[in-house]
Amino acid sequence: MGALDAPTIADPDVDETVETAKPWVVVVWNDPVNLMSYVVYVFQKLFGYSREKATKLMLDVHHKGKAAVSFGTREKAEVDVSRLHAHGLWATMQRD
Amino acid sequence: MLTRLCEELTTLLSDDDTPAEESDPVLERLFPRAYLDPTEEESEADWQRLVHGDLIDGRRRTLATVEGTLAGAQVRRGRFELTLSEEQAQAWLAVLNDARLALGTRLEVTEDMDLSGLDPDDPETAPFAVYWWLGMLEERLIDVLSGSS
Repeated sequence: MGALDAPTIADPDVDETVETAKPWVVVVWNDPVNLMSYVVYVFQKLFGYSREKATKLMLDVHHKGKAAVSFGTREKAEVDVSRLHAHGLWATMQRD
Repeated sequence: MLTRLCEELTTLLSDDDTPAEESDPVLERLFPRAYLDPTEEESEADWQRLVHGDLIDGRRRTLATVEGTLAGAQVRRGRFELTLSEEQAQAWLAVLNDARLALGTRLEVTEDMDLSGLDPDDPETAPFAVYWWLGMLEERLIDVLSGSS
């Protein structure tokens, strides 16, 4: 209804609006310390994955060296990485 | 021993407040990078500024919780007995895991090391025996926590 002026963008950085359209992926890396059972537990706790899915992801991390555990905006990826780090997992984020 | 581990972790976290001359691999493991891409230094710095303090505070809180439970432990028949609420058990899990991360990084453990059956009284193998024992304790705790959810 009625003409709108320039839409209000929460993030004033113009470049960011283009970037948020590109999905980011959070990757968990294998490490020699964390217990497999612990990794499964954390995946279930943080992402609400079923035991089966969490176990499959953990096995991917274990056997392939890494696994993608979540996808989304840069902001979501940063939050997920922070939560994973808080639980002692080694996670990084990158553009998908 | 658990009390000493808590104290060491607390010291490690307070050391992090002062700039280190050389990077400590344990601190690097406990507080790793978020951005894989090395060209994203600005985003990485922004994110560290945002979350690093919270990550330290979170660890300090769980350490304080665990130390509190240890102080309230009862000794029965030569064993420590603790009753933990779910929240306290979660704190124990976090501290056990952080202790394993710190110790494991220091000892440079690898996945193929067989650490079962090491002599905890032998000064050379004692730290590895502690590391293995922490893992056993953590496994049991995860069993209990997974069963209750």
